[in-house]
Amino acid sequence: MWLIVGEEYRMEPAIRTEHLTKIYGQQLIAVNDMNLEVPRDSVFGLLGPNGAGKTTTLRLLLGLQRPTAGRAEVFGKPCGPNTVGVRSQIGYLPTNPKFPGNLRPIEYLDLLGKLSRLPRQVRKPRISALLRAVGLLGATDQRIQTFSTGMCTRLGIAASLVADPALLLWDEPTAGLDPSARRFTLDLIRELGKTKTVVVATHILSDTDQICDHVGVMHEGRMIFTGSMQDMKRRLSRDDFTLELQGAAEDIKALAQQATNLEGIDAWVRAGRALLVRIADGRSRSGALGDVLKLIDASNLSLQAIHSGQNATENAYLQLLQEDEAHGFHR
Amino acid sequence: MGSTAKTSRLGTRMMPYVAILQHDLRTLWSSRLVRLWLVAAGLLTLMLVGANWSQFQDAPLIASLLFPYLVFPWFFVVVVLGVSPVSGSRAEALADGILSRPVSRCEYLLATWSARVVLVLSVYLVVIVPAIALVALAKRPVPKDTVTIYGIVTALGVVGLVLTFLVSLGFLVGTLLRKPLLAVVVLIFVWYPISLILSVFSLEEFSPISLSRAMSTQLRQSWLQADVDSKISANAQDMDAFTRQMSNFFSVLSGVPSKAKASKPDFFEGEKFDDFSLVRVTLGYGLPTLVTVILATLCFYWRDL
Repeated sequence: MWLIVGEEYRMEPAIRTEHLTKIYGQQLIAVNDMNLEVPRDSVFGLLGPNGAGKTTTLRLLLGLQRPTAGRAEVFGKPCGPNTVGVRSQIGYLPTNPKFPGNLRPIEYLDLLGKLSRLPRQVRKPRISALLRAVGLLGATDQRIQTFSTGMCTRLGIAASLVADPALLLWDEPTAGLDPSARRFTLDLIRELGKTKTVVVATHILSDTDQICDHVGVMHEGRMIFTGSMQDMKRRLSRDDFTLELQGAAEDIKALAQQATNLEGIDAWVRAGRALLVRIADGRSRSGALGDVLKLIDASNLSLQAIHSGQNATENAYLQLLQEDEAHGFHR
Repeated sequence: MGSTAKTSRLGTRMMPYVAILQHDLRTLWSSRLVRLWLVAAGLLTLMLVGANWSQFQDAPLIASLLFPYLVFPWFFVVVVLGVSPVSGSRAEALADGILSRPVSRCEYLLATWSARVVLVLSVYLVVIVPAIALVALAKRPVPKDTVTIYGIVTALGVVGLVLTFLVSLGFLVGTLLRKPLLAVVVLIFVWYPISLILSVFSLEEFSPISLSRAMSTQLRQSWLQADVDSKISANAQDMDAFTRQMSNFFSVLSGVPSKAKASKPDFFEGEKFDDFSLVRVTLGYGLPTLVTVILATLCFYWRDL
């Protein structure tokens, strides 16, 4: 019996939403019929352009906003404004977090520890450890209002970890950070992902590439893709090569037409001087590329560069958005 | 052992409430508005005492010290303090930081409300109590007055209750409108003609002006006198009058004429204010205070942040 219960507990996703919908004032659909499952102990990237509904989704999970329809659960418990038990398991880092500027970091973290009902003997050592971990030990005597953006983000990270929650919801954690602070944050997410479920809402795809094992792509309030990073990249496996060319636009268009006439190859012009070559399943990639290169050699065009797989996530993401746009009414 | 564990559980349960209360008190105390208010209230009180030192007896002088809290100018400060915690974009962003933690909205709202009430009453008492002590104990070149301890305590209590109501009203309007400036403007437009509004409902007794005018009489009231009065029939009369007032209030609101015609209380006849009733005033301000806090909590509970 215990084993069954334990297994069920283990299998329960960290986050589950069913037909989750949020409409603001009967005017703006922020989240549209979203069904989502975030596996436990994963680093989940919530991707989407600005205004896609990522932040609203996180706020619905926290109970800061009420869903217009549908439901959301965290570790099997329903989310809502007064679900204290759910929030005790969540550490939230908002975009550009705002802090009470008159406090010092220790005072602020102590306040948050009290809000999480942590006893003093747990609170104090944890605050000290967190300040050391985020590199703010040297700034403990400064008021928060004197902090830079990077320091505020570090403090926000420490704040989200005070209660040692099992689920972290971080909204744009690398926004406005310099390269070293960004590297620190990404390394930390990777480290935390070993023991916790981390949801990172972002539109910086290179970050997602480095840290996430699962992704969800949102567009205009809808979840248009969920799955593992491999699944997402696999979607792009046919879009293998982008060839940068120099020459007349008409010649590039003609080349695209010739390449499309080849077996198992689809090609089209992108951004005026780039040729995107998609290779069908079963067709040899090297053979197909060789055929296209021969066509270029025979034309008046010169090859400037070949890109392959370097921006797989970005291409897959853009492709998902384009497909979603193209579906029009069927969406 | 058991009681220690119970106390500890209660302490843990109340920890977020106490933490928010302490944090808000500290933030409020560090605000310029509160410090300026404290200084200005102290100076105004000193000026009033100095200017009327040899002119007024104890009761009218103390009543004049209480007047600024009931009518002008401190009403404005109290309302602004009440409005600010749950409205405005920055306040909401800070509230986000707290409400994304394991804290219920009710806990947050009650803690921020309590902090404002505690602060307003503290500033009021810190300024007024020493001034009253000075007026009552010093030898002044005026005829001796019959101000009583009971009278002073009840007068302070009544003004404290009105201030608590004002904070709660500001709190409710701030929660409803979400824009501090708009909320303050609305409250000013509601509170300044309050005597007129109350007279429509035959509730002039509760208007700040009436309370202010009744203070001198109340300050001379003795505990024994109040006790004897209550033993005879005061409470029954109070309740009867309060019921009539409420009935009249709702009949005016609904447009249906009340069965018993509301008579003007004796309070206003002869300008003696002998009919000032602590019970009615306590109910008249206490119940609306409770209602505003409950409404603010409900409103805050249902709204999106």
